[in-house]
Parts: sequence; structure tokens; C-alpha cells
Amino acid sequence: MDKIISLEGIHFQYDPLDPLVLSDLSLEIPAGKVTAILGPNGTGKTTLLHILLGWLKPSQGITRVAGKQHRDYSKRELSRLIGLVPQFESIPFNFSVYEYVLLGRSPYLNPFQLPGEEDHKIACDALEAAGILHLAEKPVMEISGGERQLVHIARVFTQQTAVLLLDEPTAHLDLQNQNRILSLLKRMAAGGSTAVMTTHDPNAAIYAAEHFVLMNRGRISAQGPVEAVITTENLSEIYQIPIRVEKNNGYIMVVMEKGRDL
Amino acid sequence: MENQAYRRIIPFLLIGIVGVFLASILIGRYPEPFWMPWRVFRDDPLARQLVLKLRLPRLITALLLGMVLSAAGSVLQMIFRNPLVEPGFLGVSQGAAFGAAVSILWLNRHPLVIELSATFFGLLALAGAYFLSTRIRYGGWVLRLLLSGVAVSALFSAGVGVLKYIADPLTELPELTFWMLGGLYSVTWQDLLFVLPFALLGIGVTYVMRWRVNLLSLNDETAFSLGASLGRERLILLLFTVSATAALTAISGIIGWIGLIIPHIARRMFGASAEKSLPAAMLLGGAFSMLADDLARTLLPGEIPLGILTSAIGAVLFIYLMISMGIKVRSHG
Repeated sequence: MDKIISLEGIHFQYDPLDPLVLSDLSLEIPAGKVTAILGPNGTGKTTLLHILLGWLKPSQGITRVAGKQHRDYSKRELSRLIGLVPQFESIPFNFSVYEYVLLGRSPYLNPFQLPGEEDHKIACDALEAAGILHLAEKPVMEISGGERQLVHIARVFTQQTAVLLLDEPTAHLDLQNQNRILSLLKRMAAGGSTAVMTTHDPNAAIYAAEHFVLMNRGRISAQGPVEAVITTENLSEIYQIPIRVEKNNGYIMVVMEKGRDL
Repeated sequence: MENQAYRRIIPFLLIGIVGVFLASILIGRYPEPFWMPWRVFRDDPLARQLVLKLRLPRLITALLLGMVLSAAGSVLQMIFRNPLVEPGFLGVSQGAAFGAAVSILWLNRHPLVIELSATFFGLLALAGAYFLSTRIRYGGWVLRLLLSGVAVSALFSAGVGVLKYIADPLTELPELTFWMLGGLYSVTWQDLLFVLPFALLGIGVTYVMRWRVNLLSLNDETAFSLGASLGRERLILLLFTVSATAALTAISGIIGWIGLIIPHIARRMFGASAEKSLPAAMLLGGAFSMLADDLARTLLPGEIPLGILTSAIGAVLFIYLMISMGIKVRSHG
């Protein structure tokens, strides 16, 4: 397995007086695939994503991306390698979709530079690839949740990174919009890019991902292909409720057992 | 994808600001209220002296004041992700007022001494707010600096209150009060030379970083993922905009509302991206400030303090924008 990001023995806490959020965590993200990170609320998924990005520095352990340690890259080099679609992106000013997506060119421009013709072309191509060219002139805050998620992804396409990190990209979306996002991620992976997404929906994860990471209380409890990770035992244990993993016509599906209310 | 309105309107704005500048040279109360006919300017040596020695430095200062306050307002609203921030909020205005009061009461009433003292205390307030924000152990960068700014502002404002209380009511208090109401009535070429480097640096740095400002308005982790050196870039912008504001406040007194309202109007006309709205805000702010100063010195036989006029006009515009949904306040994280 070709890995693009690897973590070794990561410990992390937000403050020296706080308890550990991640403890002794080791992880490998395969290149050119969609990886899904699953786990209960508050288990450290977003923190893990921020460590993969290089935004948070672990208190202990080694993080590598494309063969080099995160700290050996400049901020700008790192931003040409890894892009982020955060869980909440509050945009206090009403940028148009196009103005926002164009910001994806920042890693290629110095702080005093304006985007040039090439940058504008790349932004247009990204909008087209995400299927939202028709929204270009619309204000970002006035489009639907599903469209906004596509806008964030188009912004990262404009960034032209090898790795895309997404924090719960399908949360609050209806099934059609979930499908749009997940298919887009699959197409990206088919084109050689790497995507890492956190999610609370195992079925969405199964739909898009080839590699799975199960987290519980700041540790990895399983990682690998779907059959090894998404099992009745694993899920029932980390969520502490009876969960059944079924196989129908070769397709794996996760269901909550009925009649076992907490 | 280019913003069509921007391309169409900017040339008009440029012509407009030059027009306002040229007209303002002839607007005043000499030889008679409101307008100096061209032949008077040509034939009357006293009129020419008045224009060259008094009106011109005042006019250029008004232009710079409007440009700096609007540019600073635009930048600070964006990097603090808060559309209600204005250039004086980090304690700079109150710090400068305190500095002016200290100078009037205890140091010297020479304008240059007042300016230096006001600039010094304005920057001291900024440094104090910044230092305090690094000592707060919770909240994001925006919240910490906003809280520190409020606290430092309140401290200096209390200090100003004390100085007003002990000021000599016959000599010092009127001067102090008039300074705080804000005005450009005493601006000389020397004052202008004092603020020029601060103003030009402030305007220049924000202008060249105008696209980057958009990036700094995003969530911290998103801006980081796009390669921004958040601390350094924000500090550069803060330093240049706030020191320009402090220097101008030192000679103009506290001029409110320009830095708050003009950026809103510019964003409404040209969209949120600072690439376009920031230069537009500078031009609109320059023109607004020159026009307000024209009114301040011609409307009544005596001078109306500029700060009162900008507050009155600014508040009315603000109410209009609010009612017509021009100000769109979103959640800020």
C-alpha cells in the first residue's frame, strides 16, 4: 500500500492541563483512495484531521506527508499538498461563489499578488468539475447546504492539492446531495487524488471509501478494508448499542437493531 | 467573471474625487460664504495665500483621513470577521484622546507635541490590547483581541474622564473638548508632513494586500490550509492600518463613523471581495471626508466640529443601510 500521510505514536492535548484527546495513535492514509474515519462524537476525529493537515502539532509523535515530516514543509508548500473542507466555515462577508473559490489559488500567490489569468481559468475549471459553474455569481451564503459543500470542494480543487481532508462533508445533506458529494470524491480518487473524510454515517462511508479507520476515545480501534473494520462486533462495541452489519448482494449495510432503546 | 460594476463605476469615482478636491479648494467662507469665484483666486493675493497656506493642507489631510479610516475599517472588519468593527476599536481612539489630554494638561499645547503624545498613546493602546490578548487563555484570536480592545478602550476612556475632571475649566477643558469633537481647523503643512508617511504606508500596504485580506477573513484553519501565515500577516495589516489611524487621529481628533460606514457602502456597491471593495472604500472615504469638511467650514460662520458632522451623516446612512438590508451580518466564528 502506497501511503501519502502517516502518523506514528501521536499524543495530543489542547492544553498541558487538559486530558489527552489522542493517545498513542498510529495511522497510515493510502494514496489515491478515499479513506473514511468513523467514531462516536467527541472521539477526536476533527482533531485528527487537523493533525493530518499540520494545523495542530502533536505533543508527541511523528507526522509525515509525502515522505517528509510536516514540520519540514513551509506553510505554503504544505498548502499546495493538502486541502481542507472544514465542518463549519462561517463566511461573515457575502463573497460570490466565484470570489470564494478563487481563494483556492492563495498557495500559489505571495501576499502582495493578485490572481492572474491562469488562476481565473483554474477556478472556472474547478467550478465546472464540481458541476456548479452556473452558481458562480451567486452569493455563497445564499445557496443551499448541498451546493455550499460543493463550493468548498471546488475551492480545494482550485488549490490543486494531492490530498483533500473533509470534516463530515455529508452532514445535514439529503440523499441526493450526499450522493453528489460522495461520487465526486470517488471520481477524484479514480483520478489519483487522496481524500480523507470523517463521518457519522457508516453507509455513506461504505459508499465512497476503500479504506476505513475506526476511532474510539482518542485511539484507533481498527483500520483497513471494509470487511475488516465495519463489523457487527466493532460497531456495537464503540457505539455501545446493538448494531448489525448485513451483506446484501455483495453490498455491506449497517443497521441499528430495532427495539433496543437506550 | 470580472465584476462589471467595478469597471464601470471606478473611473467615475476617480473623476468624482478629483472633482471634489478641485471644488473644495474654492469652497469656503472667503471672500463670501460658500464659493470663491475663480477671478478672486486669480487676482486677490490674500485669497491665494488662504488657499495655499490653509485650505490646501487641510484638504489633503481630509482626503488622507477619509482614505485611511475607510481602508483601516475595511481591513479590520475583514480580519476580525466582524462588520461592526471600526479603526478606533482596539483602544486607539481613546488612547490617542488620552495622549492629547496629557499633552494639553501637563506637557505642552504646541500642536506637534499634542500629535506626538496622541500618536504615542494610540500605539501604546494597540500594543496594550495586543499584549493583553496573548494573555487570555480562551477563545479564538478574534474574540481575544476584541475583548482586550474593549478593556483597553475603557481604561483610557476612564483616564480621559479623570483628566477632563481636573482640567482647568477656563483654559484646558475647552481645548480638550474641542480636540475630542474632532476637526481639521488647525491643520498646517507641518501637521500634514507629520502624518504623510504613516498615511501613505497605511494606504499602500492595505492596497497591495487587498486580495490577501479576503483569505484572512476565513476560519483560522481554512486560512492556514490555504497557506496563510495568520499571525504575521494580520499583525502587519494591524500595525500599518492602526498606526496610520493613530497618526491622523492625533491631528484630527476623534472622527467616528467613516471607518464603519464607508466599507459597508463599498461592499454593497462592489461585492464583498476586498480586491475591489477596498480601493472603492478608499475613494469613497476620501470624497466623503472632504465633503464633510467642506460642510464643517462653510455651513455656519463658526466651525462645526468635523466629528459631529461625520457622526450625524454616518448614523443616518447606517440607519438607511440597516433598514434596506444593506448590512448583512452573518454568524462570526
